[in-house]
Amino acid sequence: MASLEFDAVSKSYDQQHWTLRDLSFTVSDGEFLVLVGPSGCGKTTALRMLAGFEDISQGEIRIGGVRINETPPRERDIAMVFQNYALYPHMTVADNIGYGLKVRGMAKAERRARVVKTAEMLGLSAELDRKPSQLSGGQRQRVAMGRAIVREPQAFLMDEPLSNLDARLRVRMRTEIARLQRDLNVTTVYVTHDQVEAMTMADRVAVMNGGLLQQLDTPQRIYAHPANLFVATFIGSPAMNILKADLSKRDDQVWCKVGDYSFPLPASTLNANPGIRAALGTTIAIGVRPNAVTVTGGQYPNGLPGEVRIAEGLGSEVLAHIEVAASRVETEAASEAPDLPLGHTDTSIIVASLKEESLIARGERVTLTFDSEHIHFFDPQTGASLRSGAATAPSSAPTLADLSTAVQAAGAERVV
Amino acid sequence: MLNSATASRRPLGAGSTLRGVRALARADRARGWLFLLPALAAYGMFVLWPLANSVKYSFYNWDGINPAKWVGLSNYGQVFSNAALYSAIEHSGILIIFFSFLPTGLGLALAAFMRSAIAGRLGTVARVVIFLPQVVALVAAGIAWSWLLGYSGAINQIFYTPIDAVLKLVGLGAAKQAWLGSFQFALPGVGLIGVWVMLGFCTVLLTVGMGKIDPSLYEASQLDGAGPVREFFDITLPSLRQEIGVCLTVTMIAALSAFDIVYISTQGGPANQTMVPGLEIYLLAFTNREVGLASALAIVLVALVVVCIVPIQWYVNRGTQS
Ligand SMILES: Nc1ncnc2c1ncn2[C@@H]1O[C@H](COP(=O)(O)OP(=O)(O)OP(=O)(O)O)[C@@H](O)[C@H]1O
Ligand SMILES: [Mg+2]
Repeated sequence: MASLEFDAVSKSYDQQHWTLRDLSFTVSDGEFLVLVGPSGCGKTTALRMLAGFEDISQGEIRIGGVRINETPPRERDIAMVFQNYALYPHMTVADNIGYGLKVRGMAKAERRARVVKTAEMLGLSAELDRKPSQLSGGQRQRVAMGRAIVREPQAFLMDEPLSNLDARLRVRMRTEIARLQRDLNVTTVYVTHDQVEAMTMADRVAVMNGGLLQQLDTPQRIYAHPANLFVATFIGSPAMNILKADLSKRDDQVWCKVGDYSFPLPASTLNANPGIRAALGTTIAIGVRPNAVTVTGGQYPNGLPGEVRIAEGLGSEVLAHIEVAASRVETEAASEAPDLPLGHTDTSIIVASLKEESLIARGERVTLTFDSEHIHFFDPQTGASLRSGAATAPSSAPTLADLSTAVQAAGAERVV
Repeated sequence: MLNSATASRRPLGAGSTLRGVRALARADRARGWLFLLPALAAYGMFVLWPLANSVKYSFYNWDGINPAKWVGLSNYGQVFSNAALYSAIEHSGILIIFFSFLPTGLGLALAAFMRSAIAGRLGTVARVVIFLPQVVALVAAGIAWSWLLGYSGAINQIFYTPIDAVLKLVGLGAAKQAWLGSFQFALPGVGLIGVWVMLGFCTVLLTVGMGKIDPSLYEASQLDGAGPVREFFDITLPSLRQEIGVCLTVTMIAALSAFDIVYISTQGGPANQTMVPGLEIYLLAFTNREVGLASALAIVLVALVVVCIVPIQWYVNRGTQS
C-alpha cells in the first residue's frame, strides 16, 4: 500500500488541446478517493495515466513517493477494475482471480488457497469453476474485484465499475466495495460520473471539469462549501438554485436583493464570506439548495413571489418548480435544465424540496424566503466562492505555447 | 401471410388455435424448403450424385468405356498395398506441414508482429502484399514458382550464386540445382509454394481475429504482470481458437486435395517424389483408364479429410461452447 501523487500532470492526445491541465493532488495511504465529473472531463485519462496506459505529457506521477512516469504497467503493482470487467473469457473464475499470482510465479497450492479465500470474501465460492460467460453481471463484477484484491497491490484503480449493473445491484455493490476497501485498507482511486457514488463511498472527492480539478475535499465539505459555481451545481441532487443578487449597504447593514426581495445578511454570514464586502455595490451569484428554500402559500411583501409550475411528488418529498421574477445565472447545469422559459433571463425557475404533506399544486401563488445561513455566494465572472479559505478558481493553466514545448521535450526524452 | 391473418381473426378454442398454429408452422416449413430447393438441387447434382457414383465405381473395375465389372473391395486392397499409391498418401501428409501448420504458425507470428509493430498505412500495405498470393490463380502460381525454382531461376541467381562462389573457393562442387527436379528437394519445393499461397489467407484471417480481441484484456494482463510472451499464449492464442480452427481446416483440405500446384510445377515427378492423391486420381482415371481404382483412392482421400478435420472442429467447438 502506498500513497499516490499527481504533481502538475497535464495530458494532451492531439498536441493541440489539453485533456488534463495541471492536475495536482495526493491520495494518502489507504484513502478512498473518488474522481467525479461530467463526461469527457478527463477522469478515465487520469486513471489510465496512473495505470501506465497513457503517457504523461507533462508533470510527474508518484506511487509511494517514487516517480513512475516511465515505469511500464506491469511493474507498477497496481490493480484495476475495468468498466467492462475485462475478465479473461477462456479462463475459469479461479484462474481469472489467480492469474496475477500465477504470472508472478506463486506456487500452485498457495495460489489456490489465496484464490479460495478471496472468493469466500466475495461470495464466489460456488462459482470458482465457471467461465465468465456463465456469470451474472454482479458476479462478473465481483470476479473483477477478486482479481484486484487477491494480489494485495499498492493501489486499486476503478473506472466506473458499477455502471453496467442495474440500479438495485449498483446500490448493493456500492456499499460492498466501500466496505471491502475499508477492510483491506488499500489506497483506491475510483472514477465515476455519478455524484451519489462519489458522495457515499469516498473519503475525499475530487470534482473535475474540462480537464481541471475544481475542488478536492471530503463529501460533506464539498456539499456544504462548494468552491465554485461548477461544484455547487454539479454536486447535490436536485441541483442548487443559482440566482443573480445585488449587494448594497444601507443603515450599517449589508443587503442582498434578489428580484424585488431584499434581505439583510447577518454578521456571521459576512464573516464567513469575506468576499462579500469587496463585492458591495455589484451583482453576484447566490446559490440556495432546494432544501434551504422556504415556501409559504399566498403572497407576502417580505419574500420572493412566485408561481408553482410543476410539483413532482417523489414519495418522501415534493419537488416544486417555482417561477420567480429574478435574473438567473447561466451555468452548465442550468443550461441543461429543460423547464426554463427560454429567452427570459429576468425570470427563473427555483426548485424547492418540500415535505411530503405540503399540498402544493400547480399554478398556486407562493412566497419564497431563503435562510441566509445556507446561502452560497459566488463571483459571477470567475464562479469562485466568496467564502474564506475556499480555493480560488483553478490555478493558472499552462497555455498551448507551453504545450508545444512540452511535447517537444517529451519527444526529445523518448529519443534519448 | 394472408392465411395467418385470417386464422388469428377467427374465434377459436385453445385447442384448435394450437392446431392452427401447427398447420401454419408446417406450411411455413414447406415454404422454407421451397426456397432451399435450387441450392439443394445443385448440391445433389454436383456433389452428392458424383460422390455416390464414386463410391459405386470404387467397387468395380471399369476403363470408362466397356461394361464395368464388380470386384468388391479389391480396389481398396490395392490402394493400401500398392507402394506408389500409398506413398502418394504419405506425401500429402508431408504437404500438410507445409500447407497447414507452417502457414498457420507463421501467420500467427506475422499477425502478432503486424499488430504490435506495423501501424497505419504501412500495416495495410503489408497485409495486402501478404494476402496477394490468394488472389493469384494456383496455375499461375505453379508456373511462376517452377521458374523461380528452376536451374537458372531467381532463387539460384540470388541466393546460390554467392554461395557457390564460396564453395568453389574452398574446392567444393556447386550447390545450384533445379530444385523441383531434385529427389530430395522437390516435395519441400512444392510445399514452399503452398506456404506462399496459404500464408496470406492465414495471416489476414488471424489479423482480423486479433482485431476483435478486447484491448482491455491486454491491459488487464499487463497489470497482472504478464509480459509479451505470456500475453500471446494466455490472451491472444485462446481468443483465436475459432480462427485457428478455420485456418487449419481450410489449409488441410487444400493440402490433402492438392492438384493444380503439383500438376503444373512437377507433374508428380521426379520419379513420383511429389505424387499426391489428387494427381494420382487424375492420372489413374484419365491416363490409365482405371476408373474403379481412382474412385477407391478418392474415397480414401475423402475419409482422410474427414479424419483430419473432425478433431480440429471438435477442439474449436469445445472451446467456444462453454
Ligand atoms: N485515445 C484518445 N485519443 C484522443 N482523445 C482521447 C482519447 N481518449 C480520450 N480522449 C479525449 O479526452 C477527453 C477526456 O476523455 P476521458 O475518457 O478521460 O473522459 P471521462 O472523464 O472518462 O469521460 P466519461 O465519463 O464519458 O468516461 C475526451 O474529450 C476524449 O474525447
Ligand atoms: Mg471514462
